[in-house]
Amino acid sequence: MTETALPLAGLRVLDISSFIAAPAAAVVLGDWGADVIKVEGPEGDPNRRIMHDSSNYPKSPVNYPWQMDSRNKRSIVLDLKQADARAALDKLIAKSDILICNFPPPVRDKLRLAYDDVKKVNPRLIYASLTGYGESGPDRDRPGFDATAYFARSGLLDAQRYEGGPPGVPGPAQGDRATAMTLVSAILMALMHRTRTGEGAWVGTSLLGNGLWSCGVIAQAALVGAFLPHRPPPDRPRSALGNIYRTEDDRWLQLTIVRADKLWAPLCRAMGLDSLIDDPRFATEPERRARAPELANLLSDTFALKPYEHWREALAAHSVTFGVISRPQDVPDDQQAVACGAVVDTAIPEMPRTLADPIRLSFASQRIAHAAPGLGEHSEEILREAGLSAQEVAVLRASGALK
Amino acid sequence: MSDEPLPLAGLVVLDISSFIAAPAAAAALADYGADVIKIEPPGDGDPHRNSYRNASYPPSEHNFPWQLDGRLKRSLALDLKTDGARTILNRLLKRADVMIVNFPPPARERLRLRWEDIEPNNPRLIYCSLTGYGETGPDRDRPGFDVTAYFGRSGILDAARYEGGPPGLSLPAQGDRATAMTLVAAILMGLRRRDQTGKGGWVGTSLYANGVWANGTSAAGALVGAKLPPRRGPDKPGNALTNLYRTQDDRWLQLLMVRDDRLWEKFCAVIDRPELLVDERFTGRPERRAHAMDLFAILKPVFAARPYAEWERLLSGTGIPFGVIGRLADVIDDEQARHAGIFADTTNPEIPRTVNTPIRLGFAKPRTAGPPPTVGQHNDEVLSEAGFSEAEIAALKKSGALG
Repeated sequence: MTETALPLAGLRVLDISSFIAAPAAAVVLGDWGADVIKVEGPEGDPNRRIMHDSSNYPKSPVNYPWQMDSRNKRSIVLDLKQADARAALDKLIAKSDILICNFPPPVRDKLRLAYDDVKKVNPRLIYASLTGYGESGPDRDRPGFDATAYFARSGLLDAQRYEGGPPGVPGPAQGDRATAMTLVSAILMALMHRTRTGEGAWVGTSLLGNGLWSCGVIAQAALVGAFLPHRPPPDRPRSALGNIYRTEDDRWLQLTIVRADKLWAPLCRAMGLDSLIDDPRFATEPERRARAPELANLLSDTFALKPYEHWREALAAHSVTFGVISRPQDVPDDQQAVACGAVVDTAIPEMPRTLADPIRLSFASQRIAHAAPGLGEHSEEILREAGLSAQEVAVLRASGALK
Repeated sequence: MSDEPLPLAGLVVLDISSFIAAPAAAAALADYGADVIKIEPPGDGDPHRNSYRNASYPPSEHNFPWQLDGRLKRSLALDLKTDGARTILNRLLKRADVMIVNFPPPARERLRLRWEDIEPNNPRLIYCSLTGYGETGPDRDRPGFDVTAYFGRSGILDAARYEGGPPGLSLPAQGDRATAMTLVAAILMGLRRRDQTGKGGWVGTSLYANGVWANGTSAAGALVGAKLPPRRGPDKPGNALTNLYRTQDDRWLQLLMVRDDRLWEKFCAVIDRPELLVDERFTGRPERRAHAMDLFAILKPVFAARPYAEWERLLSGTGIPFGVIGRLADVIDDEQARHAGIFADTTNPEIPRTVNTPIRLGFAKPRTAGPPPTVGQHNDEVLSEAGFSEAEIAALKKSGALG
């Protein structure tokens, strides 16, 4: 790293958003030097409690999802339904470069937070909008979530299933985090535009649009009338040598044998199934394909007898190619996860490591993560920076507009 | 939308990459005005030109994936192993703003295409690198694909499964496309820094880091020792009223009746099973949870008896939350997808519609795509722009440097 100045140093971001996709985009901007101010209502962003509220989140004494989505931000609590709180927000907007918003459109109108409202206060502002389903159309006002808008509506979950089985399941916030990178790209394009023209702009993206972009191959296929048949389940594969198998310790191995003519005998030896080598049922590749379920059952029974570590060594010893389906708990100890910069240290004692955003630059390093802010922790400091007097801040506090 | 120039107009991008993630980033830059020159091996070109014949792709006569990832690019066929090609490349690099590569590190070294090889030639260049697993570490030289590096290694597939079931499935290039948005963000950060300092630099990302980022909630949980609870399959629900049900026409209905305290009576009326109201197993919420499997056994045939359209008619307006797992066949004609700007018309009669990048800008629209280039289609044009004479071009063709 050759320079200390971060590429987004000097930019001020108002993160008036909740949950994950939009706040995660603000995190990325903060990683690269922006001063991110999280504007929350009196109850705070519900993402502060999601680990407890959602049954799909791993539980921990550490509020890791909140730490991850709020690192290096400052928090101000404004009750935007009150006129003087809304007026105070305008003072912040006047001094900011970027505003990130994910309220559904009717709420934006009610709070006077549509782009046309804030443009008057600061024409150089970049307004970044995240919606579930877009800015117009029959579903524009519908709250969109990762599981519904990115995954279910886009057709991803329908396609991610085994033949005859239930739809696939997304991991928590998986589509939100991918969408965050799109929002960052959109904001950076607008910054470039502002550098050239001096003008601010509206930019945005939708969860539905990102879901369809990520399954672009099959979406583009659908546009020409081509569809993917559902994949047969692992007990009825098209090829037993290109299939997944469960080990005794409930790990899954991916066999990916392309040159079956060369690797059939080594595979049988690695698995201790030498008698199969000359078994006439499986002597040639067409016969192995024709009897794929029968062969898959034989292999499956054998793989289930020994743990993953045994098979890893045995297959490697016979030069049989395979992959492993890692578990989330394997990632923290994966040396390559550290080498590629995905897992990094923090300055948060209760959560000493976290995940970097996936952008890498030779000329700058991401800021180290400091603890996520308490609700309203920086309310006074932020308003004083925006030019309000101590007395004005006190009045706002007394009225309940500021917490 | 105004008629202002596109935000990336005037930038020259050399796309020296293959397959999907890196070329898709170049396509997104082209959408917003960059002049993208795709440098491919003579003859067959980028192997992605043949991906549509891959068994995991929806079968079609049309080369739909190439339309998606080759759009708005010009093609230059160069044999990078020849000295003549190097002369051409050096001259192009002098005029380029961005270069995108995804060769594994040993191939870059062999071809003298590392940043340190290129920098002396054009210190203002943004050099963008995509790898499977990062630029250092034990697996840095390993070719990485979407299904192995983004999905398998990151723990996503392991997390995306039902209790006791096989790992989840990913779709062709699903992680590649999400990663492309990160590359775009990295490149734009490089360009911003160049605007400020006049200096170019290396930027990049890896498929692995993007997979871990997408799986960030579970991975952050793993970093503090929290494990994802297994997801119960739809045949073993913990709550039969928030579950997936298969309809007569093989659609999956998402029943999301969180407030069954208020909606139970109405629900029994809608499904025409009034006797459930007096069944002592289901009188209150705790009873319905305790007998979830009994209730599921009753509801499963109920939902299986009617097609989804009929359920939609019966449930709409009742206040009972429900949804459906979308299918691509429906999405491509979804009015909301049109509003969200997800699909775009092309001027290619063979493939008249395509998938937009998810970036939306208030001040510019993505360019309309024509047919993608054939291998080397723009050889003469690109070289004469770079100052090569007709005689020089002829000599390079003869030597085999230019395909």
